[in-house]
Amino acid sequence: MFPDWRARWLAETLRLHEADEGRQDDARAVAVARTHPGDAEARICVRAREMASTGTWASAVDAAGVRARFAMGVLLVVGLVLGFGSAMAVLGDGGRPVNVVWALGGLLGVHMISLAVWGAGLLIRPTETGSVFGRAWLWLAERMSARGPQVHAWHALFSLHRGQALLRWWLGGVAHALWLALLCGAVIGLLVAFSLRGYGFVWETTILPAAVFEAWVGALGALPALVGVPIPDGEVVRASGGVALVDAEARRAWSAWLLGCVVAYGVLPRALLAVWCFTLLRSGRRRIRLDQGQPGYASLLERLTPASERIGVTDVAPETIATAHLGGLASLAAGAPVLVGVELNGEAPAEGQARAMEWPPTVPDEVHFAGALDTREQRRLFLAALSRAQPVRLLVACDPRLSPDRGTLSLIADLSRHAGECRVWLVAAATATDTERLGYWRDGLRELGLPPGAVFESMPEALEWLAGTPAEGRRHA
Amino acid sequence: MPEKTVVRPVRIAVVGHTNTGKTSLMRTLTRDTGFGEVSSRPSTTRHVEGARLIADGEVLVELFDTPGMEDPMALLEELESIRPEGVDRLDGPARVERFLNAPAARARFEQEAKVLRQLRASDAGLYVIDVRDPVLAKHRDELEVLGDCAVPLLPVLNFVRAPQTNESRWREALSRLGLHAIVRFDTVAPERDGERWLYEKLATLLDAWRPSLEKLLACRAREADARHRAAVLLVAELLIDVAAYRVRVMATGAGAVEAKVIELNTRVREREQHCVDALLELYRFRSTDVDADQLPLANGEWQEDLFNPESLRQLGIRFGTGAAAGAAAGAGVDLMVGGLTFGTATAIGALAGGGWQAVRQFGDRVLGSVTGQRQLAVDDGILRFLAVRQLHLLCALETRGHGAISPIHGLVDQVRQWREGALPAPLRKARAHREWSGVDGKAADGLERNRALEQLAELLATDAEAIRRAETR
Repeated sequence: MFPDWRARWLAETLRLHEADEGRQDDARAVAVARTHPGDAEARICVRAREMASTGTWASAVDAAGVRARFAMGVLLVVGLVLGFGSAMAVLGDGGRPVNVVWALGGLLGVHMISLAVWGAGLLIRPTETGSVFGRAWLWLAERMSARGPQVHAWHALFSLHRGQALLRWWLGGVAHALWLALLCGAVIGLLVAFSLRGYGFVWETTILPAAVFEAWVGALGALPALVGVPIPDGEVVRASGGVALVDAEARRAWSAWLLGCVVAYGVLPRALLAVWCFTLLRSGRRRIRLDQGQPGYASLLERLTPASERIGVTDVAPETIATAHLGGLASLAAGAPVLVGVELNGEAPAEGQARAMEWPPTVPDEVHFAGALDTREQRRLFLAALSRAQPVRLLVACDPRLSPDRGTLSLIADLSRHAGECRVWLVAAATATDTERLGYWRDGLRELGLPPGAVFESMPEALEWLAGTPAEGRRHA
Repeated sequence: MPEKTVVRPVRIAVVGHTNTGKTSLMRTLTRDTGFGEVSSRPSTTRHVEGARLIADGEVLVELFDTPGMEDPMALLEELESIRPEGVDRLDGPARVERFLNAPAARARFEQEAKVLRQLRASDAGLYVIDVRDPVLAKHRDELEVLGDCAVPLLPVLNFVRAPQTNESRWREALSRLGLHAIVRFDTVAPERDGERWLYEKLATLLDAWRPSLEKLLACRAREADARHRAAVLLVAELLIDVAAYRVRVMATGAGAVEAKVIELNTRVREREQHCVDALLELYRFRSTDVDADQLPLANGEWQEDLFNPESLRQLGIRFGTGAAAGAAAGAGVDLMVGGLTFGTATAIGALAGGGWQAVRQFGDRVLGSVTGQRQLAVDDGILRFLAVRQLHLLCALETRGHGAISPIHGLVDQVRQWREGALPAPLRKARAHREWSGVDGKAADGLERNRALEQLAELLATDAEAIRRAETR
């Protein structure tokens, strides 16, 4: 199933590669990845796969795999040889009898200690990666890689495994495999030596009673005995104290016991642990996910998985939008001038104080103040009253902090039809912080048919016009 | 057998009075800064335009931007005047259908008809409100008209971050109209969890699409987390790089040392700029973005200040060696006034004065005395300053640079650990690993460096969280 862990390895390698070399040209790869139906991670992998088909770095991933196996092979061979050699060294040339205690200790001692350390590490620091052999392999494999892409492939492998805490199984498995080679080498060495040389077996002591060795040999031999490996009986063990027996049967029993112990306590546990580690590694690799929080991926996500796509316009804009126009009775109107506010009821806290000084205003006696209009009912009643009164001048006060809309403008147009002349006063315009909206009011009113001169932005001017007193005269009075 | 889950994407219309920020909301939800046309001019959008929201390659939501309602009073009157003969009473949707088929829907009310048609075809509507506006009769009429479409409406309170709003009045008015699920969502500078609240509220109105909306939410949350982690990692890498950076210099001749100091300063500045660029790319900030100037980096002066003692003094950071007081005399630097600009004053003698103190003699004195070589490294104080500055930038970026982030001095309490005491352990470790530094080209990428990076990133994430909590309080 795509993406498998190899695909992720490729992607991770590319990420490290790009972190070093800069973003590669990926226009085509991104285009392909975006058509992939999967999630972000799958698309990252597709992008890497597509780019691998053109870039040279991709072969590094395969090369790294090959080299890893090669390094492993080298170490396995070295292990076999070393194991063989250690068996030879432990047994000697046959000139002297073999001390079984020292021989077993020499063959299994270090192995047992390292196994105990590994096991303890597993319990104490479950996430740390231990194992000297595993690290030796990594070191070797990395040194064998060419600089650049192959190192990236290595580091990629590393960071992927670290993310799932798989490094320990990985390195552990390698370590167990190497120990296995070493111990197999030892077994081969033992077999060869036992086949071609004659050895006598002894145990030695200064203070311990013979019974200790008898029990010890019996206990260690119990496990190999389960599969029929002969063990030296009590008689033979007792007789082997200090002087080697010449009896061929006894020698065969001792050599079988030695071999059986190395296999049962060396080869077998290492083989089982290696299988266990590699099984866990294999199943763990299925859980490997790319860390999308890495900067290299996070900056890709926008392009690979866009949050949205445009549908386009589904209902086109009308060519023209009906706008209202001012009308008027001109000279026919004779009623008293009227001041009315539009949508000035709702009190916005913003700039409220400044506005409160201007609205509601104190109007001259001759002016009729109609309050402010908000609801439909108010509008309807006022329009009816207006059509009866027919004022000479109508001043409509608006709140310039609101957005001018068609509804308000057409109301002004409706009102203007019942008056001799209609002008608009933008209340507290001077204190409005949103000068843009003020501009939109001016524009809207101009479209309505109100020239700039007919739009007041200060209270005195507006009220003077409404009262009909010439500005000069009022000022002197 | 459980009901089969809905596979079609949920259709949502964005409606509202003219000039309340419908297209801005579209842009924020689609992450598409080029969607439609946005201006403060009323009735900018006159058509219906859609966008699909995608999560993990799956289309989950279809959003439609509609023109603003402009004449709701007359429209309601028009609707109420529809009284066909022989029918006792029309319900809302029937009334709307009749209206949409009438000639008025193609003439005076063409814009409003588009809105109603789209809303009728949608599963829900987001009713965008500019809470700076007072609640007027026309708004109530508008909601009545929209309510006739018999589609769940979720009021979205926009511009809630404005200094003075009518939010409580709007809430009261909306609840009187039976709209109790309301969401605050500043379309230009949404709160961190704003989008989550919006979709969650929407899910309460649209139970059938809850799985879709939850999937979308989960995906967006995952993306945000990834981005945040990436940002923190970028900053951590910068700090590791700079902490590990060392330059060898022959101790003979002051001129040579001075030249090295200048070189080191330049390199560190370049490295920081690299980090800033990466952060900007990560958060998709382009210099052309309207809100780019809201960030705490105005221009080159951001760089100049790094080695300026005054910048550090203002944050209460002291140089590791030597007090900064002496050098600070000539450098009256106006650091990020109001969190917007950097240094209106020029950084006089930042290099000559601060630069000398900013780097200190480091490392192997014994070896140095033998070979005549010394090593220069970046001072602790500079590292601290870098950390605080980048954290500040990061928080500003996460809120798209808007409003709520206080100037860098305001961070003092949240970043105390960067001001006092020892440097964090990963940085101290980096000091001893010259090969970890990527300031001069490539860093040796290894297990240890990676671990230090992760640890430092975790630390920085905690700091960023603390800053954010303090900002939202």
